[in-house]
Amino acid sequence: MKNKINPNKGKRFPNRFSMIRFFMKGSVRYFVLSVVFVCLLVLFELVNPKIIGYTVDFVTRNFDSIPALIMGMVDRLGGVDYCLANLWIFSLIVIAIALLGAICRYTFRMFNSLMAEHLVEHMRDSLYEQVIHLPFTWHDNNRTGDIIQRATSDVDMIKNFISDQMTNLFRMVILITLAIAFMANIHGKLVWVSVTLIPVVVGASLIFHAKIGSAFEKVDTEEGKLSAIAQENISGLRVVRAFGRERYERDRFETKNEHYTGLWIKMMRILGTFWTMNDIIGGAQMTAVLSVGAYFAVKGDMSAGDYVAFLAYNATIIWPVRQLGRTISELSKAGVSIDRLMYIMNSEREKDAPGAGAFPEHCDIDFKNVTFAYTDKNVLNNLSLHIGEGQTVGILGGTGTGKSTLLALLDGLYDVSENGGSITIGGVDIKNIRKSELRKNVGLVLQEPYLFSRSLEDNIKIAVDADHEAVEKAVETASLKETISRFNEGYETYVGEKGVTLSGGQKQRTAIARTLIRKTPIMIFDDSLSAVDAQTDARIRAGLMSIGRETTVILISHRITTIMNADRIFVIEDGHICEEGSHDELMKLGGRYRHIFNLQSAMGEEAQDGQE
Amino acid sequence: MDKNNTRRLRLFGIVELWPFVRKYRTIFIRMVVIGVVVSVFDSIYPLFNRYAINHFVGEKTLDTLPYFIALMIACFVSQGILNYINVCDCSKIEMFMDRDLRNSAFNHLQTVSLSYFNQNNVGYIHARVMSDSGKIGEMMAWHVMNVVWFGSYIVFAVVVMFMVNVKLALIIFAMLPVAMVIMALFQKKLTFLNRQVREQNSKITAHINEGITGVKSIKTLAIEDKMDREFYGETKTMRKLSVRTAHVSAMFTATITLISSLALAAVIWAGGNMTTAQVLEVGTFSVFMSYALNMLDPIQNIVNSIANMIGIRVNIERYLNLMDTTGEVRDREDVIAKYGDAFDEKRENWEKLIGEVDFENVSFHYPDGDEMVLENFTLHVPAGTNVAIVGETGAGKSTLINLVCRFFEPTSGRVLIDGRDSRDRSLSWLHANLGYVLQTPHLFSGTIRDNLKYGNPDATDEQIMEALKTVAAEHLLDKLDEGLDTEIGEGGDFLSTGEKQLLSIARALLADPRILILDEATSSIDTQTEKAIQDAIRTVIQNRTSFVIAHRLSTIVNADIILLVHEGKIVERGTHAQLMKAGGEYYKLFTRQYEDLIVNDNQQN
Repeated sequence: MKNKINPNKGKRFPNRFSMIRFFMKGSVRYFVLSVVFVCLLVLFELVNPKIIGYTVDFVTRNFDSIPALIMGMVDRLGGVDYCLANLWIFSLIVIAIALLGAICRYTFRMFNSLMAEHLVEHMRDSLYEQVIHLPFTWHDNNRTGDIIQRATSDVDMIKNFISDQMTNLFRMVILITLAIAFMANIHGKLVWVSVTLIPVVVGASLIFHAKIGSAFEKVDTEEGKLSAIAQENISGLRVVRAFGRERYERDRFETKNEHYTGLWIKMMRILGTFWTMNDIIGGAQMTAVLSVGAYFAVKGDMSAGDYVAFLAYNATIIWPVRQLGRTISELSKAGVSIDRLMYIMNSEREKDAPGAGAFPEHCDIDFKNVTFAYTDKNVLNNLSLHIGEGQTVGILGGTGTGKSTLLALLDGLYDVSENGGSITIGGVDIKNIRKSELRKNVGLVLQEPYLFSRSLEDNIKIAVDADHEAVEKAVETASLKETISRFNEGYETYVGEKGVTLSGGQKQRTAIARTLIRKTPIMIFDDSLSAVDAQTDARIRAGLMSIGRETTVILISHRITTIMNADRIFVIEDGHICEEGSHDELMKLGGRYRHIFNLQSAMGEEAQDGQE
Repeated sequence: MDKNNTRRLRLFGIVELWPFVRKYRTIFIRMVVIGVVVSVFDSIYPLFNRYAINHFVGEKTLDTLPYFIALMIACFVSQGILNYINVCDCSKIEMFMDRDLRNSAFNHLQTVSLSYFNQNNVGYIHARVMSDSGKIGEMMAWHVMNVVWFGSYIVFAVVVMFMVNVKLALIIFAMLPVAMVIMALFQKKLTFLNRQVREQNSKITAHINEGITGVKSIKTLAIEDKMDREFYGETKTMRKLSVRTAHVSAMFTATITLISSLALAAVIWAGGNMTTAQVLEVGTFSVFMSYALNMLDPIQNIVNSIANMIGIRVNIERYLNLMDTTGEVRDREDVIAKYGDAFDEKRENWEKLIGEVDFENVSFHYPDGDEMVLENFTLHVPAGTNVAIVGETGAGKSTLINLVCRFFEPTSGRVLIDGRDSRDRSLSWLHANLGYVLQTPHLFSGTIRDNLKYGNPDATDEQIMEALKTVAAEHLLDKLDEGLDTEIGEGGDFLSTGEKQLLSIARALLADPRILILDEATSSIDTQTEKAIQDAIRTVIQNRTSFVIAHRLSTIVNADIILLVHEGKIVERGTHAQLMKAGGEYYKLFTRQYEDLIVNDNQQN
């Protein structure tokens, strides 16, 4: 490989390790403690086979292989015969060791869990915070589904790896090393027969896991496709029925299902082969150890107790060795997940210009020669407009003319580039206002309002500390009161995920109430009345007029009736203002506005004609 | 949601699911038999150790070593092969069951009546088809297998122990019930805690979802810090719950290992004494010691599997409940016999549909409501008539449409198509002659062509272009790189709502239906596109019977019959002129909605 330039150089986290270290802040001590206790645990676990071995030698009166230390203890207890007559002493030792082992096991698991849970908490918190503080442009450029997947499955992947695999890795490595050491201690030659297992099994695991991994990925994509068909069918059920396409749907689903099933079984075959191979390697190793060991024992190289103990140790390493291969392959998967999180963590947050300050006292708005492009095509073209403090203005324009962009710029969701003109509020360039201050003072109701999954009341007062009266007042102005009174649970009605329990118009009105209650000096309604009927539209507009002269209101719409009563109307086309004035002025002008007016009322006039 | 009818499942639901298992009973039986054999092998391995210790080491001879090695190789090789067959069988059972269950559920959904879809959300139904089936398959294969495998291991190990030495076997055997009770208790507590953890986890996922999909609102409302704090609260709860769960599960494993050590201690004491007294061979002694240490693993596995199977019971219940929901709307036996069903149409028996629709004394209330929406409603719609249904949002305008489409059937009275009760002919016959344009157009993933051909699979490219031209949507293709072959993508995301609407009108046009159902869009579409859509609608409703939920003046005013729905009931009917003259609700609605425009227009002139 050539010298690859590290894409993360100079970023917050230059490499994987630095990010993991950051996430592990606060959980390092638990990690150290859990490693300490896992070592102790392994030691206690490995004592059992020794005890079995000594016991066997002891009861067969074969004292040669028992260390002098233990024989000394036996002597102090009252000699061999005394001990043989009172074997419960051995039992007590076993129980005592088991107790210690159990305590270690419990402590280890607790520290392990504390470590993992603290780590995940910190990881999730940092990610969440990072994601919602990233600039809006970042969200624009990254697919929602992908970000969600990173913040959920990748986090889970890392969590599982750390809580299950990582400490296990320590445990296995220690277990295997110690077991080998004990075995080597028992018999220096026989241990070689035993350890040949390790490279074979680990190597095979690595190869197979790579294979299984790619097979699994295939199955996974296929499952996604199948799931999408079901999803589409259920949500488009009326269409399926109305066009009588049940059979087509069935065939499509069954074909995909069959394919998916086949892939899955194929993957299980690979897995089955792998398991079988492992079984056979394990079996062969065991046979070899049993027979070669027997040979040494018969030759007198080894006592019966040692033989028994050796077999027991040998049995303890087979499973961890198998596990080792899996852990190594999981490691590479976790590495991918870590990189995916690093992408988010290394993205640059939204930040204020140095020296940015508070929101100005006055709020007349000026766009001066604003030019803006998302990619290369200009959406706003040298656009200038002035909105006086306390005015109500309307902005009219078709889709794609740049209306919403204008608002997004005003709210600091996007930034005007260096030579792209300027936007000022009360004479202060918005670049010099802290973003949080700016947004706290500009109430923006989006075209497609997003409601949060909580009660209606909590949704309305999500951005302010308000009492119920204030909520009621906002609800009344937003013409939502009657609707709420029809809900069984009134203000406590739970607005489901993304507000699915409400109709489009109800959502829009809730979003309007949510903005009204904030009492911001500037309020913007971006086509926020599109889903309500004309009557409600009129009622809400009347309500808006009553909120006071000190509030600047910007209404955006392509419905003329919505904006025609505004103090001033801007007609926007191809990214710049092509006409401005009051309704009467613009009608007199006979330009674009008049044209749209005629077009819209033509639809009304046809109605009049039909009447005759 | 489903009604909470918890059913009694026999044998974890295996009895109820038997029709699905039966097809694979050979594989199933083979799976069980091989599982038993494999576990027998597992339980006799310690005997090899015993023989090696007793014979080779004890008697200092290697005379039988070659046979010993050969036997052992034979054992592990055949066990390996059997294992492989077993794994394959297991995954076959799992996946075949999964596939069949999923197909049945999917096919069943195509026939369930629409009220089921109104009562249950998409996610819920989707989970019945996709995940319940998987869970059930998993249970029938792996969990059943686990119980068989480890169960027989225990049985054989106990048998072997009793054969070798009754007294020591009794010691180990005595600890089994104690261990089982303790495990069951812990397991119960753990299942409860794990559920809490899962619930908390889905809360967190929901929060993340909200934070990402709602980021624009969060930013414009400047509530980042508030959202952060709320999220921290949830993750903290999650940590506490998880650590509490870890505490219980750590206690669990510690206790289990302690119990095995107690058994080991007992065996050392009793067995050691017997060995010293020369009544027990060393090999046997050591075998018992290893049984004592290893006996609890399989028990733990069984307890685990049973806990899983209990958990999966919910999935089985939900699945069976879905399969039990028969639609209220279905064809009679004799109708199916003549006209076929959705999957096997007998088109040769289908009459031509002309398009005359009659409501004859129709009364109707929705299955999930008590209020009568229609009462003794009678209406004659001659073929080719254009009916507009108007009224405020949420007033219940779709009821009539649901009845015409036979998505629902009248509570009393009849709906007649061409003079015959619509129940006398099959749903497929009706639907094959029906066109449907939704307010929120639903397109399927696939190419533009696939979508347009949805209602008429035989349509040629010329016909498709013709249809696009008719609805003035051919310019749509200009901006697509691959023309008709352009993939629409999930839900047609890169098309605007207006464009989707145009495509779905073209789709309905291609199906050339005799009866057209149309729900006009209210959502924000710019003036130009709106004009295009209106023109398109005017074209497609020509020469057809059409029912339009109308929001646009031109559609309403030109309709042959206008029905005004108010608070869920049809309160006025007639032509525009008649209704305006009557000066009722329609007059009020009409003038209110358009007075702004008209008043201002007058001022100008």
